[in-house]
Amino acid sequence: MTDQLKNIKNIARKVGSAKKPIFITVIVLLGITFLLDIFVVDRIFDILVYLYIALGALFVLYGIPSLYASRRLMLYYWQRASKNKLAVGGLAFILFLILLAIIGPLFTADPTAVNFEEKNVPPLGFALEESVYDLKTGQFITHQTTGTGEHPLGTDDKGRDLMAMIISGASVSLQVGLFATGIAIALGTLIGVSAAYLGGKVDNVLMRFTDIMMTFPFFLLLVFIVFIFGPNLALIVVIIGLTGWTGTARLIRSESLSLRTREFVMASKALGASDGRIVLSHLIPNVISLIIVIATLSIPGVILAEAALSFIGLGDPNVASWGMILRAGQQNLDTTWWVAVAPGVMLFFTVLAFNFLGDGLRDAFDPRSNV
Amino acid sequence: MKKTWLRDYIIKRLLLAIFIAWAVLTITFVLVRVGPTSPADKYLANLTVRGQDTAQVVAAIEARYGLDRPIYEQYASYIVNLGRGDWGWSLSTSMPVMELIKTHWIYSFQLIFLSSIFAAIIGILIGIYSAVRQYSKTDYAATFFSFIGISIPNFWLGVMLILLFAVKFGLFKTYYDTGLPLLSLANLKQLILPVITLGTGMLAGYTRYTRSAMLDNLRKEFVRTARAKGLPERTVIGKHVFRNAILPLITIIMFDLGSIVFGGAYLTEIVFGIPGLGQISFNAIFADDYAVVVAVTVISAFLVLMINLATDITYTYLDPRIRYD
Amino acid sequence: MTETILRIRNLKTYFFTRRGIVKAVDGIDFDLLKSECLCLVGESGCGKTVTALSIIGLIDSPPGRIVDGEIYYDSLNLLECPPDQLRHLRGKEIAMVFQDAQSALNPVFTVGDQIAEQVKLHLGMNQRQAKEKTLSLLKEVGIPSPEKATDYYPHQLSGGMRQRAMIAMSLSCDPQILIADEPTTAVDVTVKAQILDIFSQLKNARQMSFLFITHELGIVPQIGDRILVMYGGRVAETATVTELLNNPKHPYTASLIKCLPDIAQTRDRLESIPGTVPSLIDPPRGCLFHPRCDQAMAICQKEAPPPFTVAEGHTVFCHLYSLPKR
Repeated sequence: MTDQLKNIKNIARKVGSAKKPIFITVIVLLGITFLLDIFVVDRIFDILVYLYIALGALFVLYGIPSLYASRRLMLYYWQRASKNKLAVGGLAFILFLILLAIIGPLFTADPTAVNFEEKNVPPLGFALEESVYDLKTGQFITHQTTGTGEHPLGTDDKGRDLMAMIISGASVSLQVGLFATGIAIALGTLIGVSAAYLGGKVDNVLMRFTDIMMTFPFFLLLVFIVFIFGPNLALIVVIIGLTGWTGTARLIRSESLSLRTREFVMASKALGASDGRIVLSHLIPNVISLIIVIATLSIPGVILAEAALSFIGLGDPNVASWGMILRAGQQNLDTTWWVAVAPGVMLFFTVLAFNFLGDGLRDAFDPRSNV
Repeated sequence: MKKTWLRDYIIKRLLLAIFIAWAVLTITFVLVRVGPTSPADKYLANLTVRGQDTAQVVAAIEARYGLDRPIYEQYASYIVNLGRGDWGWSLSTSMPVMELIKTHWIYSFQLIFLSSIFAAIIGILIGIYSAVRQYSKTDYAATFFSFIGISIPNFWLGVMLILLFAVKFGLFKTYYDTGLPLLSLANLKQLILPVITLGTGMLAGYTRYTRSAMLDNLRKEFVRTARAKGLPERTVIGKHVFRNAILPLITIIMFDLGSIVFGGAYLTEIVFGIPGLGQISFNAIFADDYAVVVAVTVISAFLVLMINLATDITYTYLDPRIRYD
Repeated sequence: MTETILRIRNLKTYFFTRRGIVKAVDGIDFDLLKSECLCLVGESGCGKTVTALSIIGLIDSPPGRIVDGEIYYDSLNLLECPPDQLRHLRGKEIAMVFQDAQSALNPVFTVGDQIAEQVKLHLGMNQRQAKEKTLSLLKEVGIPSPEKATDYYPHQLSGGMRQRAMIAMSLSCDPQILIADEPTTAVDVTVKAQILDIFSQLKNARQMSFLFITHELGIVPQIGDRILVMYGGRVAETATVTELLNNPKHPYTASLIKCLPDIAQTRDRLESIPGTVPSLIDPPRGCLFHPRCDQAMAICQKEAPPPFTVAEGHTVFCHLYSLPKR
């Protein structure tokens, strides 16, 4: 019995030490496929697929072993976090949303299908009265449309099915949340830890820079840059990431500062560890729980930022995000009011879910709070 | 003894603020110049050019606005002009940018000011009550509603309020009437929905922060000492605890003002059609009117800068534990 | 015969927590006479502070509650007072000094303000009178240059000065009783001596009763008139200082005294009492000390010992002295 375990452990160790080469191989393969894509064959994969495969490889090769190594700690945190019902509810909703975004499009109509026959259909259970000019009698008659099961959430003024639009919007919001937050957190952590650890002049310069960037109100800066560079979704995601790192940097820096003076760091130094090693192996693992909390609580802000941009018309016109749907709804508030309600409700619940989850995680990670 | 170091601190802080102001201007300038299209091209796209040599028109525009001069000259005159109060010419509204700002800033101000007062007073009171009566039904309700308040997208809240109260119930107009005198009751009435929209998020935030700051301090030893002195409970809470809680609270409130409120005000103005600085900047974007957009961005950054400066100085003055000698 | 200013009978203060009922104070009796200093001595967790807080009515009401007993201040039962009346006594007639002056004083108000606050409230003084009173109090506790000290914030004072300021604050309304909760525990040795000096001076100068709480038996002789030894929320022994130190009857008291290192003696090891303080949730039956007592008998596990008067003013709660059963 223990022999089998030993074998498995040996294999795992061999795989473990092979992490770097495997990862490099995967990236190279992806790179080759990507180049083939552009220059030789026509569009094998969407660019996002490459990104997801790369991230997936990163997670499987580095993330899962780390999680497995600290599984007892993970279990402890999970037990604490799961006592918070709101946080669990939030997580459930987020998982449901992810599921919806991935599987939903298979069951619903095409969100871009314009169908003027079916325009202005209210949701199931509602009715809409309109004054319509009747060509036959040459007069205005009141025409009533009632909701049907075919379009459970109704249609907009161009006949597009609202439920399909909402589902495609979910995918947009989630991915924007993921990537923009990823960029912002990565940048913020890098700057925060570097400032804290390297100290002195570096710290001064980095913090002055952070102060300056923080002086611009986040949304106005976002609008300004999108105005200059144009509304393209990928660009918007990057810009949100590049403008939203300041809060993270400050928080990570203060946490790292307090860690830096702790004995275990001095002990490491005394043993001759290099700066890089101390940062990677000691500082970062200790701030990871803080990073997770900050990330979870930043996602709603990011999602709302993109939604707000789309709402005021600065979003990517080719992408059906919730903000854009809301904008369409607002313009026809007196007739197709449901088009304004649905995306807002989804945004609200999504933001609420992330806030509950983030709050729950924060309490779970904080040793001083009693759950 | 207190006065000298405070004065030195203020001077130091002012110099820093000037430096940041300069950096803000420079970054804005760089961003505009780094953009893919030049202001001249954008203006050209909006201009009907009939039978004119495009190159000539572009050259004329560039000469008029000094865009053909070397970059550092442009930069220098940019800074100088801003200092002198010449903020450029708004192409879309055909008036100096400064004029535009002078006529419209008051609308933004009244919105932000009223919302802040509304949010601060109610938020802080509820936060204090929540902390003192922790675990009561009111506390749970307040915490629950503050979660909702910070999660509602404020532009959607605005749209929903309009849908309900203006469209369905007809209590308000769906647009903002600039014809009303500012200090009239009618103006106040039409500001109700916008103030609720902008203020709700702020209120929820203030409630949470106040509650947590009060809770932190309610646990401290000096509270027991105050009670042991025989002080009435309202003095213990209202004077001793609150005075300690207000320190981190000021910082958080001011910080919020800088990062979230201006964005929220921008959106609220657009939703309700209030012609404040956010609205005119927004209009300028769709008219490719660079001067206005730059001006509003810079102004908002300067305001945040001043608020941060005021907060820093106030905090340093109020907290006796901070000394810089 | 000196008057009794505080009479406590059968005081029981319990804390109702999720894990059970903590019987922090489980039936104690004692008297505090006028102008005397009674030292309440015992290990951490034996109920000394809870007793003090029960007297002035500062027990956190959930989860704590005074479930039984009487506390007579003069002829007034404090446990049956309306809260407002109790509040008026607090700080004015019965004052309390806490252990750590750094955290017990409000960091955002000056020392002078915090002292003046009390006299303005209880004695109705105006700003000028309050200032004068503050200065004289600060001088009384031995703070140099009181005019400057009034405007200092707590963090600007040294540990010893802070402690004195807190004592000055408690004296501001000339209270009849001063309760001091471990005032020398959080300070270093030199300051400890200074604080004890101040207390001695105050005792001689004012006609005040002291309830001095400490876990250090060694400082008791310097200021105490009588000692009350507590264990596990109950009284173990009470006597005058000289009587107790020379003639301790309770095994616990005897062990405590043995634990005091004596500079004159050469010993290899410091003495200690084996075992730990019992949990006060569901305490063991009988005498709480029996698991650690080297003279425990069968009856100690079954019944709580009744009081036994050894001599005038000397009472002990121990089966070694209770009347033998027939």
